[in-house]
Amino acid sequence: MTACFSNPALPAGLARRWRGLCRASLPALLALATPLAMLLALGIGRFPLPPTEVLGYALAKLGWLSLPPARLALLDNLIIDIRLPRVLTAVLVGSALACSGAAYQAVFRNPLVSPDLLGVLAGAAAGAALGMLYGGDWRLVQLGAFALGGAAVLLGVLLASWCGGSLITLVLGGMISGALFTAILSISKYLADPYNQLPAIVYWLMGSLAMANLDDLARLGPPMLLAMLAMCLCGRGLDALSMGDDEARSLGVPVRALRYGVIALATLASALTVSLAGMIGWVGLLIPHLARLLAGPGNARLLPVSACLGAIFLLCADGLARTLTTTEIPLGILTELLGIPAFVLVLRRARHGWTA
Amino acid sequence: MTLRAHDLRFAYRARTVLQGVNLTVRPGEVLALLGGNGAGKSTLLRLLLGLLRPTGGEVRLHERPLSAWPRRALARELAYVPQLHQAPFPYRVREVVLLGRLPSHGLLAAPSRADLHAADVALAELELTALAERRYTELSGGERQRVLIARALAQGARLLVFDEPSNGLDYGGQLRLLARMRRLAQAGHGVLFTTHHPDHARQAADRVALLADGRIDADGAPAEVLTEAAVARLYGLNEDEQRLLSAR
Repeated sequence: MTACFSNPALPAGLARRWRGLCRASLPALLALATPLAMLLALGIGRFPLPPTEVLGYALAKLGWLSLPPARLALLDNLIIDIRLPRVLTAVLVGSALACSGAAYQAVFRNPLVSPDLLGVLAGAAAGAALGMLYGGDWRLVQLGAFALGGAAVLLGVLLASWCGGSLITLVLGGMISGALFTAILSISKYLADPYNQLPAIVYWLMGSLAMANLDDLARLGPPMLLAMLAMCLCGRGLDALSMGDDEARSLGVPVRALRYGVIALATLASALTVSLAGMIGWVGLLIPHLARLLAGPGNARLLPVSACLGAIFLLCADGLARTLTTTEIPLGILTELLGIPAFVLVLRRARHGWTA
Repeated sequence: MTLRAHDLRFAYRARTVLQGVNLTVRPGEVLALLGGNGAGKSTLLRLLLGLLRPTGGEVRLHERPLSAWPRRALARELAYVPQLHQAPFPYRVREVVLLGRLPSHGLLAAPSRADLHAADVALAELELTALAERRYTELSGGERQRVLIARALAQGARLLVFDEPSNGLDYGGQLRLLARMRRLAQAGHGVLFTTHHPDHARQAADRVALLADGRIDADGAPAEVLTEAAVARLYGLNEDEQRLLSAR
């Protein structure tokens, strides 16, 4: 896709039109590629299914095709009970992390920012660890992750307001809050039973989609989708905000409301990803850069494109996590292993201020 | 559409910056605001744009206090051309100019055909059509300055406020900028700009205001206001330095 943006063989005017066409069709292409990636992901696992069989199963469920009852029951178990929750969770978590990352980068006018800037992931990790320490019930772990993720950002914002409320104090407030919740996480690990609780905390912090289920998706999916939709709608305001506060205000943008509103939405989406799948790094930093290479910096396009790419990236990473070895590799490790070389490649392409 | 500051006062905590400033920006004229470093020019500009709240006095646009103007309606009347800067992300020139239509189409809506046309007109007016698909971050200082002016024009504002617009421009770029501000005034826009160069005020302004010690020291035609004595007083020049001023 990137190559077609700058084909040297084309005359300048034609190349510009071609580039424009590629950019214009990119969201539609990605909107098609995401369900295609989901279809492929539903076939991946110990019991591989070709995409045609997954498609046949979907048609059978719609009543347009008949399958033997035994085969249908097997596919029901394999696709609906085991793989679909995992695939949907990957799509939701990947898109939420990437969309939040892109929104954070615009709000803080800094392409090196990730959703963890204000301490949401540190807070969520501490909350989940405390949940495991005091009970270990999965719901308690999820609630702890969400509550302390939000609390960490709130503390960072309050500290920043107390110290003047500028963008730099907000960053510093987030650092202080993140450090505090990292310390709480360390205390939780220190107090944890080293045979059961500590390995559980450490494993959970590496990120995984193994616990994905349709109940959690039904509860946490709608607020995450709404948060992403609202962030995408704020795209043009974020463009103005990334030019500076005074300029944005003089263009009629309610700077404070937009900044804190988008921070709240991105925090909600990121904290819920931790509740669903633990700590999954690099998606929120890498994917917005990749999306910017393809779609340009305008946030009205960048945010939805980031969301689609984030979903596809995490589907691919989860596919590898499930199939590379006999035991499943924690997803967070894999996103790091994939993310680091990919980010180096993006950096090489990132001329002219972070785009190709 | 007149912008009027009346008895404007402002203080950062205990430090008084402005004390009783009266100033008027009228359509069809260029007003230059001069003052030494730290005289409060930028603060006055931000107050006139409604970006800061005064601690005393008020700013009125068309006889209505700025605080009573809805934010978007104000942006359609009053535009800000900031000092040259680098954007953190490489927006295309057209995208930057199109931001000027935000007050018209709103935050959540996409630009309409009319908005795209208004941006194209502004690009053509500033001779930027050929650069429309270039990245803002790749442009020279003079080109970036023109993009920011085009964005202000796309806003449809009648009053334009420039913050030290000649900073970072070469000599030719400075003269082109001054000529452009004159043309904007001839087209009916009110233009206010801050500068450190008395020559720029002489060359482009219909009126000059001198800001010293938080007050407007003088306000009138350049020939009357910009005397050697006034310039020497404004910038605190000693006898040696004043001799250089006379030698020009």
